[in-house]
Amino acid sequence: MAEDRTTSGASGEKTLIRDISFCGVPENGSNASMVDVKDGKIVRIRPMHYDWKYKKEDLNPWKMEVRGSTFEPSMKTLIPPYSLAYKKRVYSPARIRYPMMRVDFDPDGERNPQNRGVSKFKRISWDKALDVITSEMNRIKEKYGPTALLYQCDQHGENKVVQACHGAGRKLLREWGGFTLQMRQPDSWEGWWWGSKHFWGCEPVGQGQQSNLLWDIAKNAELLLFWGCDQETTPWGWQGQLPSRLSYWWSEIGIKQIYVCPDLNYAAAVHADRWIPVLPNTDAAMYLGICYQWFKDGTYDKEYLATHAVGVDKFEAYVMGEEDGVKKTPEWASAICGVPSRTIKALAKEWASKRTTVVIGNGGPGIRGPYATEPARLQCICLAMQGLGKPGANQAKMIEWGLFDKPDQYAQPMPLRVPNLRSAYTGGHPDETNHPSFLPKTFVPKGILEGECDWWGCESETADRANQFVHYKYPADGCSKIHMVWTDSPSWITCWNGGNDYVRAMRHPDIEFMFAQHPWLENDCLMADIILPVNTKLEEDDIAGDIFSGQYNLLYPEHKCIEPIGESYSDYEIAVMIAERLGLKEEYTGGKTIPELIKYGYETSRCDDLISWEELNEKGYYAVPTADGWEDVPAGFYNFYKDPEKYPLTTPTGKLEFEATGLLENFPDDLERPPVPKWVAQGISHEETIGTKRSDKYPLLVISNHPRWSVHSQHEDITWLREIETCKVTGPDGYQYHPVWLHPSMAEQRGIRHGDIVSIFNERGTVLAGAYVTERIMPDIVYIDHGAKWDPIVPGEIDRGGAINTIVPRNTTSKNAVGHAVSGFLVDIEKTDMEELKRKYPEAFEKPFHPCAGPGLEACIWGGE
Amino acid sequence: MMGKVLVIDLDICNGCYNCQVACKDEHVGNDWSPIAKPQPDTGQFWNKITDMVRGQVPKVKVTYLHSICQHCDEAPCIPACNVNAIYKRDDGAVIIDPARCRGNQLCLSACPYEDVIYFNDSLNIAQKCTFCAHLLDDGWTEPRCVDACPTGAFRFGDDSDPEIKELIAKAEPLKPGLDVKPRVYHIGLPKPFIAGAVFEPDVDECTEAARVTAQKVGNGRVYEATTDSYGDFWLRDVEPGEYTILVEKTGYLPQKMGPVDARKDINVGDIAVWKA
Repeated sequence: MAEDRTTSGASGEKTLIRDISFCGVPENGSNASMVDVKDGKIVRIRPMHYDWKYKKEDLNPWKMEVRGSTFEPSMKTLIPPYSLAYKKRVYSPARIRYPMMRVDFDPDGERNPQNRGVSKFKRISWDKALDVITSEMNRIKEKYGPTALLYQCDQHGENKVVQACHGAGRKLLREWGGFTLQMRQPDSWEGWWWGSKHFWGCEPVGQGQQSNLLWDIAKNAELLLFWGCDQETTPWGWQGQLPSRLSYWWSEIGIKQIYVCPDLNYAAAVHADRWIPVLPNTDAAMYLGICYQWFKDGTYDKEYLATHAVGVDKFEAYVMGEEDGVKKTPEWASAICGVPSRTIKALAKEWASKRTTVVIGNGGPGIRGPYATEPARLQCICLAMQGLGKPGANQAKMIEWGLFDKPDQYAQPMPLRVPNLRSAYTGGHPDETNHPSFLPKTFVPKGILEGECDWWGCESETADRANQFVHYKYPADGCSKIHMVWTDSPSWITCWNGGNDYVRAMRHPDIEFMFAQHPWLENDCLMADIILPVNTKLEEDDIAGDIFSGQYNLLYPEHKCIEPIGESYSDYEIAVMIAERLGLKEEYTGGKTIPELIKYGYETSRCDDLISWEELNEKGYYAVPTADGWEDVPAGFYNFYKDPEKYPLTTPTGKLEFEATGLLENFPDDLERPPVPKWVAQGISHEETIGTKRSDKYPLLVISNHPRWSVHSQHEDITWLREIETCKVTGPDGYQYHPVWLHPSMAEQRGIRHGDIVSIFNERGTVLAGAYVTERIMPDIVYIDHGAKWDPIVPGEIDRGGAINTIVPRNTTSKNAVGHAVSGFLVDIEKTDMEELKRKYPEAFEKPFHPCAGPGLEACIWGGE
Repeated sequence: MMGKVLVIDLDICNGCYNCQVACKDEHVGNDWSPIAKPQPDTGQFWNKITDMVRGQVPKVKVTYLHSICQHCDEAPCIPACNVNAIYKRDDGAVIIDPARCRGNQLCLSACPYEDVIYFNDSLNIAQKCTFCAHLLDDGWTEPRCVDACPTGAFRFGDDSDPEIKELIAKAEPLKPGLDVKPRVYHIGLPKPFIAGAVFEPDVDECTEAARVTAQKVGNGRVYEATTDSYGDFWLRDVEPGEYTILVEKTGYLPQKMGPVDARKDINVGDIAVWKA
């Protein structure tokens, strides 16, 4: 319940606890924050203090005492700047305040799909909006069948449970008769999921077993290799900043940290003992150079491999050049990856002589490029060759501690209980399938533009390895092509593969109707025919769990902080309104009200025996104590290391498969994801490396990481973040451009100065950016993170906002793996001739923009707001 | 006088900008009169961070510098104000009274620090950090920036507190030459490094355990380091200036280079050595 912020009550403020995190999956709550409100307004947002209503000893704090030092959780949540600044997102000038319809969309006449992304919008009533939406749904269903409706509902968004933003319509559409689901492929884990699962199993996402690894590192590791890991960026939106504190502590107790990444990322900038710059998406060659050195010197754990692995001889034959006549020496690797051969040798030597853990932040760009399966598997192979699972030798993650409620994903000390709110969740879960009609998200443009496509696997984000050998097609048998799109929390264009193709797909005449629901007018919303206003979570009642912090787990009911802005409703309420119009309200809601759903969330949270509903409401939150005996949980792959027969992996052989049994059986001739992992320079899917013919024309490799100042596409309108120098670069025209990092040597060669507006381009389109000239990047490559707010000059061709994903590869990871390849691709860059652009596209440059919040509503509203 | 102090430890500042953002969250759009009127939404920072990128590829580090009112006990801004709008509280905080300020801007030129006092054109007043005195008066133990700091880089407390005293002992004032008695202390203020790597081109190996000596041109001051298994050496916290570099290893020909300019952080590059 709301309580006075201070004991004196003099401030007149009330404090509410809210989960201000941005994954959007019910198990993945975090970043619990205290929101102080007064007179119907948010006064401030601040870290939540665990000891507000509990004593420290009630929480049974865990403590790591090792090497003469002690590390404990903080007594407050370590929230990121996005959570602190969220007031600006709530009150953003980009908030959609009422339903809107595209001015040249007439459901009874001309629909003008070709104008999507250009036409402006005008205000309409909720009645009119719901009328058009439900009559279009019924019309489409009658004409083509229900699978003509594509539901896109998987983007990252605010974490909500009973007011879920991730697909509140899924259950409704099942009641309605079916639909086609845009199935989000495992975008966070591409290389691990499509590659490493064939090496070491590790369902469902293919990353190594994590249990108790933070403790294992503290006790046993001598060397940490942060490979494409930026724990000072990526975990922020998910779990906050304990990884930062830990990293400082690891240094303090003498654990060496090496960072392998093309850019001096934000973690390397403050934690690295050594930075090894590597050319984007060439890590596979570097791993091979290391393996060569180990095979040559015999400095790997042969005995371990004899009992724990299969197919080592095949791999060795490839590495030593017996298979293709090319020895994968450090010199060979150096020519590809740009790391001096002597450094590769020194690293191989140090890795083999020290207890080494590889640390990943989900892998980032390193496992999200073309052929990402290869660097992912090769990293696992390196770990295997040094005795994977022995103390201090694992693959540790700096994010998603406790992913999908799996005990083996708990890298942090185990809590007494993990609250879980899945039963009360009204959205769509990554586990859920939608047979027979679904399209991998990466194939949505292809499916629509080409009318048909086929692929392997991806029936859900958590589908097991065997599903990768199941063949699917679009349209599925007996199902329709897509003619209508319903999208919620959309950010396809700026986050996925080939955003410009998506723009073309949504303008295709087959798409007769598209509607969006979202709190902010941004990204794919600009393509919609009707836009419905959604409120932010601070305008809703809900219930939340905080499980990712690594400190203490929390369960708390969430109370509305302010009244909904404009005519907005929650995503769930919108689904209920549509259900009502379709005559399905009772079926959809099951007769439960929102307060009942919230209480149901508590009852099914697994914490109902630890705290009563009354006490939970009285205190406002439940802080879960640490489990006794957490220190004794076996770390990472330790059980497998000790006894591979008793604790086999989930691979077909139960062992580490240097030659993957499943790939050998199903795709023996796949050159892009061969049974034995390789360096794949190019293939039928991609030509995105230096030395290919394409690189003559587009000579620069791009690295694109998670953005530091937004969570994917979220928070792009927060003025307090945009004024940070690494967030946006203000051009001479006053527009805040998305920064592209260039090394001073390259900037000079190309006549580009810090602050210039530049064009990044390839045959897939052009993106404008602001030049940020820095020593934080190796020469001859460019860095630009994804997620910038799309602001088309020519939709599908030229973007001013800096949405680099509009020009990333349209093809997937490889032929038989439908992941997205969004980093490690070729472009060229030049100083933009702005006068020429303005002359060619005067209307685009006449669009108003907010000087500090970026493109917003004004540019899109008919006749101004 | 006794009172509150702020200690900023740059060695554990991860540059998350929480302090800068929390300051905005507290002061933009909120009127905390009589302590402070609202801060403009953008462009002014009562607690400003600057990214200092140090060195050259691949010997690069980032240190995050902080500009904030130092709440000096002998604050030059107080006597400089000709309407007596600036005062010192019993807890040490220096406050510009927004009701008394007439916008004469004399404090801006009197302040010996950069990016501390801002002039708010629309309100016609000078503004700066208040240590969140309105919150301290309401029972808070620390300002917003300190509450928001995830790593403990910002610490706030009484200068009589033993823990704070211990921190102060490790800290230094931002501008040691000034006699203004600031109440903000800094740990880890950046001083230049000289870094590089040593290698043997003949065998294409990094050279471990080479002794690297940097000698300052002029006063002859010497800094030494030994190369690690990557051949890397880091001479940290050197006195700014020009240096000659000497690389030595038993059985190898000594190599000299320089002078190199270490007025700022410098990566002198990869230095080749040959067997004698």
